[in-house]
Amino acid sequence: MPTPSTLMMWYMIMGVLAGLVYATTSNQKFVDFLSFLLPDRGPMIKSFLQKILFVGFPVLVGWFVYTWAIPGAASPVELRIQHPTLPQEFEKLENPFRQTDGETQRKCVEEGKILFQTYCRPCHGSKADGNGPFANSFRLRPINFQDPGTIATVVDNYLFWRIKEGGPGLPSESTPWDSAMPSWKDDLKDDEIWKIIMGEYDTAGVMPRQREKLE
Amino acid sequence: MRKALNKGLISLIFVGVCGSTFLMHNEVTAQSSNLFRTYKREVPQKLSETPESVAAGKKVYEKRCWYCHGIEGKGDGPAAVTMFPKPRNFTRNEYKVRSTAFGSVPTDEDLFRIITSGIEGTAMPFWSTISETERWQALYYVKTFNDQFTKDASPRVIPVGSVPSTPESIERGRELFKEMKCFECHGDDGRGNGPLTVALQTEWNMPYRARDLTKGWNFKGGNAIEDIYRTISTGFNETPMGSYLEKLSDEDRWHVAHYVKSIAKDMASDVVVKVKLFEGEQLPSEPLDENWSKATAVEIPLAGQILVSPRHWTPSVDAVMVRAFYNNDEIAFLLEWDDATNRQEEVFRDAISLQFPAKIPESLKKPYFAMGDSSGSVNLWSWKAHWQEGFGAIAEAPESEPGVATELNAKGFKNITVQPPESQNITGKGVYQNGRWKTVLKRTLTTEDVKGDIQFEVGRLIPVAFAIWDGSNSDVGGQKSVSSWYYVSLEKPVPKTVFVYVLVAIVMGASVEMWFIARLRRFPPKMEEEQE
Repeated sequence: MPTPSTLMMWYMIMGVLAGLVYATTSNQKFVDFLSFLLPDRGPMIKSFLQKILFVGFPVLVGWFVYTWAIPGAASPVELRIQHPTLPQEFEKLENPFRQTDGETQRKCVEEGKILFQTYCRPCHGSKADGNGPFANSFRLRPINFQDPGTIATVVDNYLFWRIKEGGPGLPSESTPWDSAMPSWKDDLKDDEIWKIIMGEYDTAGVMPRQREKLE
Repeated sequence: MRKALNKGLISLIFVGVCGSTFLMHNEVTAQSSNLFRTYKREVPQKLSETPESVAAGKKVYEKRCWYCHGIEGKGDGPAAVTMFPKPRNFTRNEYKVRSTAFGSVPTDEDLFRIITSGIEGTAMPFWSTISETERWQALYYVKTFNDQFTKDASPRVIPVGSVPSTPESIERGRELFKEMKCFECHGDDGRGNGPLTVALQTEWNMPYRARDLTKGWNFKGGNAIEDIYRTISTGFNETPMGSYLEKLSDEDRWHVAHYVKSIAKDMASDVVVKVKLFEGEQLPSEPLDENWSKATAVEIPLAGQILVSPRHWTPSVDAVMVRAFYNNDEIAFLLEWDDATNRQEEVFRDAISLQFPAKIPESLKKPYFAMGDSSGSVNLWSWKAHWQEGFGAIAEAPESEPGVATELNAKGFKNITVQPPESQNITGKGVYQNGRWKTVLKRTLTTEDVKGDIQFEVGRLIPVAFAIWDGSNSDVGGQKSVSSWYYVSLEKPVPKTVFVYVLVAIVMGASVEMWFIARLRRFPPKMEEEQE
């Protein structure tokens, strides 16, 4: 994954500040820091570094002004909320297969895995790691379900909403116009979606978040 | 001396960090590389092949592999319907990536490598995420599907040495590529459009597709030079790609490998297609115009349209290359994509479509990337190849044919309208050459149809999306290859004043610096008396 340039910038600003703090921890250090610029009979390497610094600073200023002044086409910053709030109509739903006996559950997981491998695999990958063969083609990459920050932090209903409504069903702060997640409500029955969810958790090797018990 | 050096380093790092801070801020972020798979060569210590490990392998297989490869290993798992190429049938010796002779079974190490690294251009993922033990166990179980593994135990491995690449070697490889008739399948330019492949696909409907050798990211078993050499030496079992072990000397196989490596390219993808101001009277309208080489090429990856049914799970076009120019009046796009055949039928025609929002979005909000939505209309520029009755299509579409280039509007997949004749403004021309379509689409920057047409503005980021139909892959309607939103930007030419600013900045920077140093030297910093 490429490092976001804003992150790099913050690290660098922090680096600069840390350097300044270090140089001013004692008067001695500050004097040393500045005295580097003073001419004395120092070693060859010192005068060489001084020259680099002397030439480098104006060049850097020039380069900065140049990059700032040329008309450029940087990619736009596209901020989005990855976990919007679950709409109310999905909040009360229950996965009908979670409460069944072990044998039925195992069957549902297996059926769900087959459906997952058929419909979800091209983007989300055979391992549910977001590396399917189509994954590279969408700028908003398919979610890696093995990542503990994704489906492991939400309840079953959340996935039910996302699968049923897909990208177009997202609120606008989650940029639905960029999401390649199909809306499956016309093609898959609710039962099938609940099974896919069970198969998906199993494939990714994570568990859904448990609801807090109310008193 | 050490102290002086330390001080110097601190100051240098300080200036360097300050500088990079400013530079980073201005950097254009390119899309991350497409290559997330690498073919790993080293194989760890083998697990012993015992009945227990085979039994454990059955469990692994039935947990992870059977969905594609089938419960009996016949390559007919339930998920196989959404795949091309199809998963391997393990009951036959179809193994492609091997270090052993043609017709032989692969070694355990070969199987281990493939399970670990996956296969490029297919649905086979990299299983480096499961334990090595599980990978060994799974492959021992896979071997039980085919008796040949027991019959020819320990098959002979073809050694892979190394010969450095030189211009002479590549040139010799090019000649051998002709002499050995590699072009009959792979095509003159290596785009997988050889007459044999085309005939097998069109007349016989055989699923063999010779590799497009220009797409370095799609080589089966890796695109490192050793991998290419190995493939030429071993061939691919049960495909027309035979072994050249007997037909070519060791050295000649290296020459061919170097030639193939020299034509294999990485995808040059970026998020923004930069449109340059064209210096010349007329924008190029011919796909083969030499001026196009002056424009920056960006490759946009494509995937199957899977957003609405009918979904397309097995697209054959995986990238489109885009170049564009503009002048005071017009904008022209050159779109290039590889297509092994230009075969089409009346319904299934080769085609491309550019999609823009009908209006440049003022905020972050855009129309839905696939054909817009009820609240956001998109403007589509569609170009269709000329179709002619009979075997294959002709290579060039006459400009005059109506319906070659059409402007449409869409507000969702079910709400598409062709613009009335008076507001049709685009012209299009396409040429098919050596396995590649090259199409030019051109329009004025602004039009009278302000509501339906995108109005280009210099310096703005304008969303764009692409769709391609491959007639020979039965692409039609929603069955197409698509991209999500990318951007085009009409670049402002660099004004001369920028250089004046830079000069002023340098002079000012130098003055401030000299003033600071002069001051520092006149009043050198001194320790205060009370300090130690």
